[in-house]
Amino acid sequence: MVSLPFWNPIICIIALVILIAVTCLFRSRGQKKYKEGTAQTQIFLSGEEPPAVEQIHIKSHNIYWGFFQILKRYYDPSVRAHTGIINDYIIWFIALVALTTVILFIASLT
Amino acid sequence: MSFNSFKRALWAYHINTGSCNGCDIEILATLTPRYDVERFGIVLVGSPRHADVLLVTGPVARQMAPRLKRVYAQVPGPKLVIVVGNCGIEGGVFYESYNLVGPIDQIIPVDVYVPGCPPRPEAIIEGVAKAWVKLEQAERQGVA
Repeated sequence: MVSLPFWNPIICIIALVILIAVTCLFRSRGQKKYKEGTAQTQIFLSGEEPPAVEQIHIKSHNIYWGFFQILKRYYDPSVRAHTGIINDYIIWFIALVALTTVILFIASLT
Repeated sequence: MSFNSFKRALWAYHINTGSCNGCDIEILATLTPRYDVERFGIVLVGSPRHADVLLVTGPVARQMAPRLKRVYAQVPGPKLVIVVGNCGIEGGVFYESYNLVGPIDQIIPVDVYVPGCPPRPEAIIEGVAKAWVKLEQAERQGVA
């Protein structure tokens, strides 16, 4: 018999409260002498002027960089096949329909 | 970070404004086992936002001036600036260059000067120790 994992919502809530308390404790120990609205609260880019907030955008594609890197051999031909030209897609469609028809025809003979 | 932290640690951010790297290598030498300033709690940090002290080398090339100002502005107070090397103090061998806007005290306020070309690690450590004392005084006087 498979035993069920232990689950108690009260313990989860207590753990969450402890986690929030520890987080607040760490935050309260931080630097308090920053002057709001000055360069001290801006992001540090090696002395470069930080871009406007609306220009800072990390694409979700970047998060999956390792995933795409591992599957590169699969993705590269797929990306090349997606040309964006409707004629290419119609050719793919006709070719697949023809291939499916041939397979079904052969299968019906056996 | 309260002032009590200075009695335990002093965090420094190092910026090169066009140095030949001689002074930068000497700064790194203070972190080697021979001098080992980390045993005093002196640490080089990766962001001026975490620093108490700015270690500046180089004669300030024209392109570096706005960056130096910005980095200085990002250090939370109370803060001190230590210039390491002759180039930052009076231009050094580059003093007649068309491309310089320094020395450093013409761009940002400087508190401690460590002369030398390059200065020895002992001199840099002494400069940092003097800055430490000045920081304690600044904190006592409530200077931000």
